[in-house]
Amino acid sequence: MRLEREAIAGTEERSDALVRVRPGEGLTIDVRSKSGPMYRERIEAVVRETLTRYGVSGAAVEVIEAGAYDHVIAARVETALARATGGGEAFHQPLPLVATRQATARDRLRRSRLYVPGGNARLLAFAESFGPDCLLFDLEDAVPPAEKDAARFLVRRVLATMDFGRTELWVRINPLDRGGREDLKVVVGGRPHGVCLPKAESPVQVTELAGLLYELEGRYGLPWRLWIMPIVESPRGVLAAFEIAQASERVVCLAFGAEDYTREVGCSRSGEALLWARSHLVAAAKAAGVQASDTVFPDVEDEAGLRVETLSARNLGFDGKGVIHPLQIDSVHEVFAPSADEVAWARGVVEAAEAAEKQGLGAVTYQGRLVDRPVLLRAKRTLAMAQALGMEVGNAG
Amino acid sequence: MPVNAVGREIPETIAGKPVRPFQGAFATVPQGHRVGGPLKTTRPGAGKLAPSLEEAIRRSGLADGMTISFHHCFRDGDKLVLQVVDTCARLGIKDLRLFATALFPCHEPLVRHIQDGVLTRIEGSMNGPIGAYVSQGGKLKEPPVLRSHGGRWRAVACGEVKIDVAFIAASEADPYGNANGIHGPNACGPISFSVIDSWCADHVVVVTDNLVPYPAVPPTIEQGYVDQVAVVDQVGDPAGIVTGTLRVTRSPTELRIAKLAVDAVAAAGLIREGMSFQAGAGGTSLAAQEILARKMAEAGVHAAFAIGGTTKYLVAMLKEGLVRTILDGQAFDGEAVESLRTNPQHQPITPGFYADYNSLGCATYMLDFAFLGGTEVDLAFNVNVNTHSDGQLLHGIGGHQDVAAGARVTVITMPTLRGRVPMIRDQVTTVTTPGEVIDLVVTERGIAVNPRRPDLAEDLRRAGLPVRTLEEMKAAAERLVGKGKSPIFGDEIVGVIQWRDGTVIDVVRKVEDWA
Repeated sequence: MRLEREAIAGTEERSDALVRVRPGEGLTIDVRSKSGPMYRERIEAVVRETLTRYGVSGAAVEVIEAGAYDHVIAARVETALARATGGGEAFHQPLPLVATRQATARDRLRRSRLYVPGGNARLLAFAESFGPDCLLFDLEDAVPPAEKDAARFLVRRVLATMDFGRTELWVRINPLDRGGREDLKVVVGGRPHGVCLPKAESPVQVTELAGLLYELEGRYGLPWRLWIMPIVESPRGVLAAFEIAQASERVVCLAFGAEDYTREVGCSRSGEALLWARSHLVAAAKAAGVQASDTVFPDVEDEAGLRVETLSARNLGFDGKGVIHPLQIDSVHEVFAPSADEVAWARGVVEAAEAAEKQGLGAVTYQGRLVDRPVLLRAKRTLAMAQALGMEVGNAG
Repeated sequence: MPVNAVGREIPETIAGKPVRPFQGAFATVPQGHRVGGPLKTTRPGAGKLAPSLEEAIRRSGLADGMTISFHHCFRDGDKLVLQVVDTCARLGIKDLRLFATALFPCHEPLVRHIQDGVLTRIEGSMNGPIGAYVSQGGKLKEPPVLRSHGGRWRAVACGEVKIDVAFIAASEADPYGNANGIHGPNACGPISFSVIDSWCADHVVVVTDNLVPYPAVPPTIEQGYVDQVAVVDQVGDPAGIVTGTLRVTRSPTELRIAKLAVDAVAAAGLIREGMSFQAGAGGTSLAAQEILARKMAEAGVHAAFAIGGTTKYLVAMLKEGLVRTILDGQAFDGEAVESLRTNPQHQPITPGFYADYNSLGCATYMLDFAFLGGTEVDLAFNVNVNTHSDGQLLHGIGGHQDVAAGARVTVITMPTLRGRVPMIRDQVTTVTTPGEVIDLVVTERGIAVNPRRPDLAEDLRRAGLPVRTLEEMKAAAERLVGKGKSPIFGDEIVGVIQWRDGTVIDVVRKVEDWA
């Protein structure tokens, strides 16, 4: 690969690195590291490895490192190379997956979905330890147009390298006609679990995305089928919610985005103003057999407000809620966890059903009320969730 | 070379003096008696007011080769150390040993006096530029000795360090020598670090910018120990006691660490009526205090006492009744000083009261738990607070050793990575506090329990907290950054780290190369 022009990528901010590449004869690598001589050679090796990956044999590379991890440096080099060469197919090849990662179940817990800006190395530095149910690397609203390429490469490296334990990993791409296709080609190589589709308004968008994923999975031999989470954030999207949810087997969850919706409708962000849209979305999702996740709560400082809104979402039938700061995760998880009373009730129902089955009884009652099939299923789901959360559930279930 | 109880090679002598290697946190049996200053008397009508600081220095008999002492209660706003050393330079006094409790970035101009031979030895904490300067080696006649708050008190009380002239900055003093740090326009907090200096120095000069009629109360420094009083324009700027770290962090990582730390002590059953704790002034510690306050209020329990360094956050807990008494050795902001002035339950204490090894009681020994920081921790739970992983000597010990040795549960809070430098090492660059007095290490990745505390491991697991080994957390951090080079140390010693009992727990050597 030949460099056509000089290019830079990254920043000198904490946890990031500024990389400059110039066309040159042979390889020269000049590293200035915040930690002095401690990592200079290591950083040089990371740069060399990245250049080799792209078959670059003539370049002068300058790195100003301010606490960046290896994969951040590699991503910045990659970005600079793509900018210096005009990009292309070589940059779509998936990275070796260093992290341990497994496929996730269609109906797994998705109480929280945390948005992290995809271009910000500092905010991504400790992302391994946040512990939401779903982590969404955002390439859309959080990334300015000129940095979309850099964010793609960074998110792909973060995904391939960092170990997120049981967190399900998502990428919010840009709309397919505005950079989303290029997003996909790069980030699927980091092996996320799924893709969030913003501004979903019609089932056609979902089938188009599903088709692209099918093609990329085949081309790159990805280890699992990627899930789709359409984000419904317009009146048109709300009206088409059921068709959107049903458009592909890959859809596991419908997410609601209130900010764009209120703007388009011209309504306030109050619970009352959004009640219909929320309820409609939940009904559409459940009718299609998928989960529903509520919009984000925008005020990080207002923990009480977050709890109120999350509880209201749970009461409406949502399975989870969006969060914009790691600090909000615990509150959301606590609200979505079944209460001790609910667990006791569920255990009672399941035990009653088991006893009735042993005795060959058809009708089951618990606390004087009929336990029919939906009630039993709900109780079993509560117990399963409690068990997944490590709560004391007794022997039943 | 002999190896001490934490496996460090310690020379038999340093600067010609025999060295006692560290043998264990409580191994030393003290010998001998306390020392005191010379016996002196005065008569009614005799005055102590010197016409100027320069004249006070002249009259003190300060001469080449002597030791001068200071407290650090103005922290980065101190103006006395430089005034005194500048004046000594002007008077042609040289070869001095500077025995301040701690030096800060504001003291950087001392470098010139080191180069000119006015200062040839330093004992005490060096935060920032002076530490970086002496780390280069070859700057001082003898390696600097670093002690904890309790260790410094002990060293003076037993005669290990003889002070020739003590200079005591006071925000209020009377012409007879009574002095304190809580009144006056430049109030800075308790100036109790200097109490032992006033008792043991050959000559004591109180320096103030706020002379009041007799008697100045409370007399933290008492008239009976003071030779002279000098007045200057300003002894210090109280804005300097507030450092950049004195606010609750908003970093999700630090908040997670703080929350885990509080969850851990809660799981250990230590959030209960009559509890006691120490929490420092770093961002994570302050966040932990805030979370702790909420938990205590929810549980309806009160702390019998908390030990400062005090900030407005701890003062708020006192005001709300969550903490009944603050035992305070150091104020970190104006609210703490105000509280010291007005609230009798906010009690100033000396290092002798809270931290002295050679004593029959330390307030730190009464602590249930403490949150402390560090620059590194190693797989044996040893903690470094003095040097960075590049070998630079940049921080003092403060009360770290004294609190860790005393508290029933000592919790170290730190992220696994700062920038790309991992904080968990095979071996810390410098041992400040031995692993035997550290119980928990809390990072954003989980909580490591010292194998000496299987009881705590059990409590934490039962509470569903993420218990991890230091090895696991170290490996997780190194996955992201690899293993860097480490400094290769030469023979030259640029710092001596004393354990609080006067034994040497480690030495800092000059960095020669990297490997």
